[in-house]
Amino acid sequence: MGRIVIELLLRVAGALVAFLTLPLLVGQLEHKAMAHMQGRLGPMYAGGFHGWAQLVADGVKFVQKEEIVPAAADKTVFRLAPAAGLLPYLLVFLLLPLGPGLVGQALDMGLFVVLAIVGVGVVGMLMASWSSANKYSLLGGLRGAAQLLGYELPFVLSAASVAMAAGTLSLPGIVEAWRPWWLLWQAPAAVVFFVSGLAEIRRPPFDMPIADSELVFGYLTEYTGLRFALFLLAEYAGIVVVSALTTVLFLGGWKGPFADHQLGWLWTLVKVFAVSFVVIWVRVAYPRLREDQLQRVCWLVLVPVALAQLVLTAVVKVVL
Amino acid sequence: MTVTDVLICALGALALGSALLVVSTRHVVRAGLWLVVTLGALAGCYLVLTAELVAWVQMLIYVGAVVVLLLFAVMLTRAPIGASDGLDRSRWPAVLVGGGSAVALGALLVEAFRWSSIRPPAPGTAERIGAAVFRDWVLPFEVLSVLLLAALVGAIVLSAPRRS
Amino acid sequence: MRGGGLAKGLAITLRTMTRRAHTAQYPDVRPDLPPRSRGVIALFEENCTVCMLCARECPDWCIYIDSHKETVPAREEGARARQRNVLDRFAIDFALCMYCGICIEVCPFDALFWTPEFEYAEYDVRELTHEKGRLREWMWTVPPPPPLDANAEPSKEAAAARKALEIEA
Repeated sequence: MGRIVIELLLRVAGALVAFLTLPLLVGQLEHKAMAHMQGRLGPMYAGGFHGWAQLVADGVKFVQKEEIVPAAADKTVFRLAPAAGLLPYLLVFLLLPLGPGLVGQALDMGLFVVLAIVGVGVVGMLMASWSSANKYSLLGGLRGAAQLLGYELPFVLSAASVAMAAGTLSLPGIVEAWRPWWLLWQAPAAVVFFVSGLAEIRRPPFDMPIADSELVFGYLTEYTGLRFALFLLAEYAGIVVVSALTTVLFLGGWKGPFADHQLGWLWTLVKVFAVSFVVIWVRVAYPRLREDQLQRVCWLVLVPVALAQLVLTAVVKVVL
Repeated sequence: MTVTDVLICALGALALGSALLVVSTRHVVRAGLWLVVTLGALAGCYLVLTAELVAWVQMLIYVGAVVVLLLFAVMLTRAPIGASDGLDRSRWPAVLVGGGSAVALGALLVEAFRWSSIRPPAPGTAERIGAAVFRDWVLPFEVLSVLLLAALVGAIVLSAPRRS
Repeated sequence: MRGGGLAKGLAITLRTMTRRAHTAQYPDVRPDLPPRSRGVIALFEENCTVCMLCARECPDWCIYIDSHKETVPAREEGARARQRNVLDRFAIDFALCMYCGICIEVCPFDALFWTPEFEYAEYDVRELTHEKGRLREWMWTVPPPPPLDANAEPSKEAAAARKALEIEA
């Protein structure tokens, strides 16, 4: 019993450490990669060497800032919203497999659980947008809800395709069943999953709910200090989650060119950061989609492609 | 009292308490948020009863989609911050109907099982549910899907712009 | 091709990332300003004759000049003692100055120059009136004029000097 408890604690601690470090690394990568893609240098001072400690400095700054709650706001909901937005991602970190046997908690229905939990994240956003008592916040929240309700469908459908191919819902099980030729076979599903994942975490070019040029800062407008930092952390954690899910479902997780069993964690991390880089890259390269374009892409492109992929998967599965 | 008993009692109390708040709070949006807690606690109950799939479907469909849609609709129409007076609530009939059906259901359950103890079924894994749905209950499942399809077509027909 | 723009966008951002950034790391690396940069106006005090042309032409009235006359004793027996203007104060209020450069254009004695020096910000607007000591120091930062283009006409001064030499010869 004692050993089990200790092991469980170790796994939870590992997931927590990953939750606190990986989003910061991705954030730093975003700072630097985006800057260089725009011909800039990005942060150069914090920490000495090429501004490596910029996000730590940002965190310290956010902690020192005044916590402002609008007078007309629903104060309880306003205060709880960042936690409601962040917690789902923290739970997802527990379920993502890093290597063979290296997982916070391997569940029989891991994929399903992860999708369910990510879907709940929208509640935090709705809480924040409504309780701010700000029309821009509310508009951002409504846009976000409409977007997430739409994109949930291709997100789940494309994940279902790979689960069907693997014949299991367990995340480590999917990686075990994965073969390199799936890269081709499941390519449409991978693209749909990645794109709707971007929309799910409200990253540009799907950042209509935040849209700083039209909605001030969407549902984050009224937030300051630590709570704002928590929302930012949720955004970066979201990048890690979507990248990790894409890696696990479509890119073979810990399977690499050699030494899968010893270096599995390394392959996973490399793939996760590569996908995260693509997330950042897409943000720099493309402008924001308009609201109607956003819905068109979802319903007229992603959903049909995901459905076609489901049919293809089923056919191949039956034939083989 | 095992850990399971304690957990299910706690989650049940949470679900009941938040459900009471859903119907008694005068903050419209907060009622929706309490509904999230209720449904989450219910999913927790399912989880304790090892019906994993049902629990996570509950989270995905009810919390992730239905409640979000509900909140969306409320915010789109009228969502004042703070208590709103004059909510159209028929208190006594509601108590009567709700309490009556709860008592009736409870009585039915008590009458059906008394103190007989039941061996819990094997954990509700995806595989078992899949086998049950697609082997034993294929026909009802398919009929249900036709029903859903009919609802979908109806929704499209109703929302399509009328040509005159 | 439809959708080709998507690939092009990605390609351009990726290519930009592999190139050197354009950022000027100013406090660490001094900017390399061209010689004719309009940073600040320097005063070559020794050339100034207190003719007041600059102060009068200045559209903003931002040049302050104080002077007094000194008598220079006669150099030869029987000659008249001369008088000379001595500069007491020459100040430019850079809070008013609009960097039009008219004072420099108008100075007949080459006493005013542009320099690329630009770090003279102050915490108080009143301290932006810089006196002649500071203006004289900036003279050291005046870069030499850039060389003329090949085959360009020589400057007026050089042409005049050559002519004088030719006549002398």
